[in-house]
Formats: sequence, C-alpha cells, structure tokens
Amino acid sequence: MSAPVSTPIAGPAREVTRHVAIAGNPNCGKSTIFNSLTGLRQKVGNYPGVTVEKKTGRFFGSHGEAMELLDLPGSYSLQVRSPDEAVSRDVLLGRLPGVARPDVIICVVDASNLERNLYLVAQMLELNIPVVVALNMVDVAEKNGIVIDLMALREKLGVPVIPMVATKGVGFIELRQAVSRSPLPPPTICAQMPIVLEREVMALAKTLPCAPEVARGEALLLLTLHDKALDEVTHHDRSIIDATKTSQQRLRTAGIDPMSAPVDARYDWIGTVCAAAHHAGDSPHALSVSDKLDGWLTHRFWGWAAFLGLMGFMFFCIFVIAAYPMDWIDAGIGALAGWVSSFMPESDLRSLLTDGVIAGVGGVVIFLPQILILFFFLGILEDTGYLARAAFIMDRLMAKVGLHGKSFIPMLSSLACAIPGIMATRTIENRKDRLVTILVAPLMSCSARLPVYAIMIAVLIPTASALEKAGIMLSMYMIGFLAAFGMAWLFKKTLLRGETPMLLLEMPPYRLPSWRGVFVRMWERGLIFLRRAGTVILALSILLWALATFPKPKDPETSPADAIAHSYAGMMGHTIEPLIKPLGYDWKIGIGLIASFAAREVFVGTMSIVYAVESDAEEDIAPLRDTMRAEKHADGSPIFTPLVCIGLMVFYVLAMQCISTVAIVRRETNSWRWPLFQIAYMTTLAWLGAFLVYQGGRLLGFQ
Amino acid sequence: MNPLLDQLAVAALIVGAAAFFVIRFLRKRAAGKNCGGDCGCGTSKGGKLGH
Repeated sequence: MSAPVSTPIAGPAREVTRHVAIAGNPNCGKSTIFNSLTGLRQKVGNYPGVTVEKKTGRFFGSHGEAMELLDLPGSYSLQVRSPDEAVSRDVLLGRLPGVARPDVIICVVDASNLERNLYLVAQMLELNIPVVVALNMVDVAEKNGIVIDLMALREKLGVPVIPMVATKGVGFIELRQAVSRSPLPPPTICAQMPIVLEREVMALAKTLPCAPEVARGEALLLLTLHDKALDEVTHHDRSIIDATKTSQQRLRTAGIDPMSAPVDARYDWIGTVCAAAHHAGDSPHALSVSDKLDGWLTHRFWGWAAFLGLMGFMFFCIFVIAAYPMDWIDAGIGALAGWVSSFMPESDLRSLLTDGVIAGVGGVVIFLPQILILFFFLGILEDTGYLARAAFIMDRLMAKVGLHGKSFIPMLSSLACAIPGIMATRTIENRKDRLVTILVAPLMSCSARLPVYAIMIAVLIPTASALEKAGIMLSMYMIGFLAAFGMAWLFKKTLLRGETPMLLLEMPPYRLPSWRGVFVRMWERGLIFLRRAGTVILALSILLWALATFPKPKDPETSPADAIAHSYAGMMGHTIEPLIKPLGYDWKIGIGLIASFAAREVFVGTMSIVYAVESDAEEDIAPLRDTMRAEKHADGSPIFTPLVCIGLMVFYVLAMQCISTVAIVRRETNSWRWPLFQIAYMTTLAWLGAFLVYQGGRLLGFQ
Repeated sequence: MNPLLDQLAVAALIVGAAAFFVIRFLRKRAAGKNCGGDCGCGTSKGGKLGH
C-alpha cells in the first residue's frame, strides 16, 4: 500500500505571521487539536505513539492572520529516549535545519492526568518561548471527580490556560484568541533550580554557539545527560562536551547530582502548582469502568480469549457482509467486459481492454468491500483504546521472544499496512529492538494480502460457510504473528543480541469511537486502494497483458494456451518453474509471483489476465475462482489442489512482495543492507513455508 | 476496426503504462535525495536508526 506522506500545507498562500508548535504527552489529543485548527486529517488514535513525525498545516488566528502549525510527536519530557521524541526536542530548540523555531507553543495537557503532564509544561516554560496551555479532556477529568482551579493554575503557570474538549470542539475559539494575542510574552515563571546548578547552567550557556534565547534550555539539557549520551552528542564541538563534563564534576563535588537535581526541582514546582490548582476526586481508589474492563481484557486467559474472539468476529464479518457488494461489483465488471466485447470488433485493443484492463483492475477492485470492513473494525479498535490492551497482553508473549513491548503497536499498525508500522518503530528507544521490529513487521498480514487470501480461500473451499472461511483467514493472520515472533526471537539470539527492556505503556481510558473518524479513515483507505488500482495496477495490467500476448505465434491456428506459453510472460514463468515446482506451482502461478513482487494484490489481477488471455471464449467473464478451480495439469490433475492453495497463502504470509515497504525500510535504516537482507530472509522463509505445506502434506497423504 | 489504428492504440497504451513506471521511479528517486517529506530526515543522519 502507499506510504503515508507528510501532510501538505493547507490554505491559500498568505504570509505566515507566526510559527506555532503543538507539543504534549502522548495520547493527550494533540493531533485532534491540529486537525480541528487546520482542517486537515492527520491520523489520530486512542493509543500513544500515533504521530512519529512532525506534521505541518496552516490555520488562521482570530483576526485572520495566517499561522503555520506544527504537530509534534508526543513526549513525556525533552530528555529524549526515542527518535520520535528527538523530533520534538530538535524543533523546540531550533536545531532542525530549515524549520523555524516556533514563536508560540501550544502545550496540550491531559486534565485527567495533570500532575504527570505538567512535567513537560515545566520544561516548555524553561525554553523562553511563549506558551499557551490547552487543558484538554476537562470532561474526562470532571467525570473522574477531579476539580481544577483554572484561575489558580493560570496564576501559578503564568501563561494562558484554555480549558478544552477537543473531540467536541470546545475551547477552540479561546485557543485561537490566546495564540493570536500580540504581543505574546515569553513565560516568566519556571521551576527554580538549585543556585549552584543555575550558576553552572548560565556559565555553560554562555559558551554555547546558539541563540541566547535557547542557550539556557540547551545547557540544562546537556548538563542532565550521562557520560555515554554526552559522547554521542553530534551537534556540539568536543570542547563543549568536555566543558559540560567538567561542569557536571563541579556539581557532584558540591553535592548536587546534575541528572536528578533538575528533575527534583521540577517535581517540587509541580507539587506546589497541583497543591494550589488540582483537587483529586473523593474516591481516587475506586475502580473506574476502564479499570473493571481492563480486569477482563488484560487477563492472562480472558484477555487472549477476547483478542482471538474479536479478530475472529472481524474476519467473519469480512466474509459475510462483504459477500453482497462483492457480488455486485463482480456483476458490474462482467457486464462492462460484455458491453466492451459487444461494442468493439475483435481486435488486440478489445483484448487489451477486456482481458488486460478490466480483468486486471476488476480482479483487484472486487476486494474493496473487504478492505473497507477491515478498516472499519481496525478504526473502532483504535478509537476505543483496545489496541493498547492488545499490546499489553501481547507483551507477555513478546518478552519471551525478546521483543520490546512497544514493538506491538508498530506490528499492529502493520495489519493495515507495513509502511506506517515501520514508521511507528520510531517510538522504540533501543536501536537493536527497533531494527528487529522493522525486520519482522512486514510478516504481519497487511490489507494487501487480503485479496490473495480471499481468492485462495474461495478456490479452496467455495461452498464452505463464512465461519470456516473466517477460520482459515484467522489462521493466516496467526501464522503471520507466529512467524514474526519466531524470527524476532532468532534475530535477538543471533544478529541483534541485547537485553529486553521492560514495557512502560500508558493505558488510555476506554472511549466511544468517533464514528466520523472511523468512516473518514475507511473512506481514505478506500480512496488509496482505488487510486492504486487506477494507477499502478492499471499500468501493470496493461504491461502484463502485453507480456502475456506478445510475441504472437506465427501460426494463427495456435491454441491460446500454447500462445501464452510462448509469450514473454510464459517465458518468465517457465524460467522460474524449476524453483517453484517443488511447491506444486506451475509456470502460470510463477508469472503471478513475479508480477506481484511490486505489490501482493497484483497476484490476483495477474491471474485474471493470464487466464483471460489464455481463454479462447468470446467473452471470458467467468469468475476467477471458477477458472482457477478448473485449471488442470497436462495429466488432467487439478493445479489448485488444497495443498497448493494453502501453500500459496503461506507463501504470501511470509514473502516480502512489496516494493514500497522495501523503500521505507531503506529510508528508516538509512542503508540498503537491511532491506536487501529482509527480502532475502523473507523470500527464503516463504519458499520453505510453502515447501513444507506442499511436500509435508503430500507425505501425510493429503492432496 | 482499422488494423493500423488498433495497433497504434495498443502501442500507445503499452508505452504509456511503461512511461508511468519510469516517471514514478524518477520522481521517487528525486524525492529520495531530499526525502520529499517534511519529516526532517531526508538522507541526513536524522533518519538513521537510533540517532
């Protein structure tokens, strides 16, 4: 599937008067505020780590002035632990080349978790940039019995505080007014550091080659780094690193720990702010509905039962509900092919349109309803906050194979598409853990595999119930999970050895899904799928038709089956036939495997074209499923036996077969070594998997 | 249908499809030199693992 690209700048070209950054803890509603202010559709979700890059958009202040808005990845502090957090720090300190240092920061704070969120606010106030605090989710705080004294909070922070419920559009007018205020003074209040530390900070700040307004913040961050982290700093000269170390040594001699002293000072300050402005409910220890639900959904046994039940139900619905629109689309494609055939005289152009374009594109478009239903369910699971629970129950299993618990969110994202999944690995701090996750994420069954599974299941058990079909589909997804875990275990034991860190994951409260958001995401994914069908798959279908048609046989009496065998596509299929024969595949399946290296779903379109070109019927509009079931070897035995069908599905579970994923792995690892290694290991694994199914099954007496 | 027109139309479609992939590749390669996005990674060390 296509890569999620950076959000474009929206709005008419008008001079930008202010650069505004949105920062805050993960899952506090930054992207929701960004979307509402800019009118864009940046992805949001009820779990931490959805935004891993900065995104930009444009919005207008209360007087119509144009401002550029940056949505930053969530972070708990400016003390960076992972690559996504580094983006926030670098933007706020003006370190990112080509990106203006923000003129204003909108610091989004989760009102129901005020104390924890204030740590980042404390650091923002030290940056010497005007801050507006967006106190989001005040409704949730109220429901939890938390009372926040806004006047006291404003007074203690010394900056505007805007109460908001971003999901309901509450507080946006006030937020625009606050951000538009001119002049907007920098903060005057911040946590008081011990005097000795403050003296060292100021001395170090004077030596830093950066703007005076950021020097103090930069110096404070440097002083809190431990030796190893200091040695890894690349944006300062060695002399500055040495000066920092000397400074730290002086502090230690004075009895001050440079790492913990600023943290303690900030927490002391937070304590005074909360004492004045924050009053927890009467019964803080009473179990909330979220806690009660978590008792079941994260339970050692019931958690797994719920997870498998939910996934099974999702696939059952995919088969049952999608069957009707799929029949309609199928009938529409058949009617279109019939109309073109009746309208045009027999010619190469007619063959290209019916056997190439309509068969190829139509063969893929038919799966649109299943893709939409998959994204409907994934959207609901995301919005309700269930995915974070799924990550929690999976962590037990993942820890056993040495995978970081945070790896599960990227892996779950890969169920939709490996590209956002691989980008989501930026939340993982440790380089080796991140690399292992990148290497195994494409093993999770993405939506592009759905058409392949669906057609093979239809060929395998055409008359079976939806429940049985869902069962096979679920098995394929489970094979993907298990293969990912198995390979992660292997990589952690061999190539990328290292300790497994503990999972610290914030459990978001359960929320009702935003139906608009779910349907917008379905719509967007549907559009991506159709755009792909109308561009890449259309162009590939034309080329495949040409490869399957030319060179034309000299003898006009040659049967279509012989003609395709001698075409370029036939030659390609025959070339790799010795490699795939042990898997039970013939050269026509080989054409499908070669063509789908670019994208998995192309396999279905390729099969449609190969069988349509091969057919000598005037109007070959029989469903692909029936054509494939009727395919025979020269000795009359069926090609698509149960073992071949299952083997092909296993092959597609394990094979890389996605050029866009290769490109994103190249970008994220900054090297060709890892994507090439990934292609090699996944293709080998896929071949071995299909070989085991076919040959093992035959040894056991299956067909 | 005129056979010449038929051949020309088929050739145009095939060349068009091939050109689509060539242009796509060239555009992606050009974008790759400077990332193409606004994430700040580009081919700089910013995008490198763990940095």
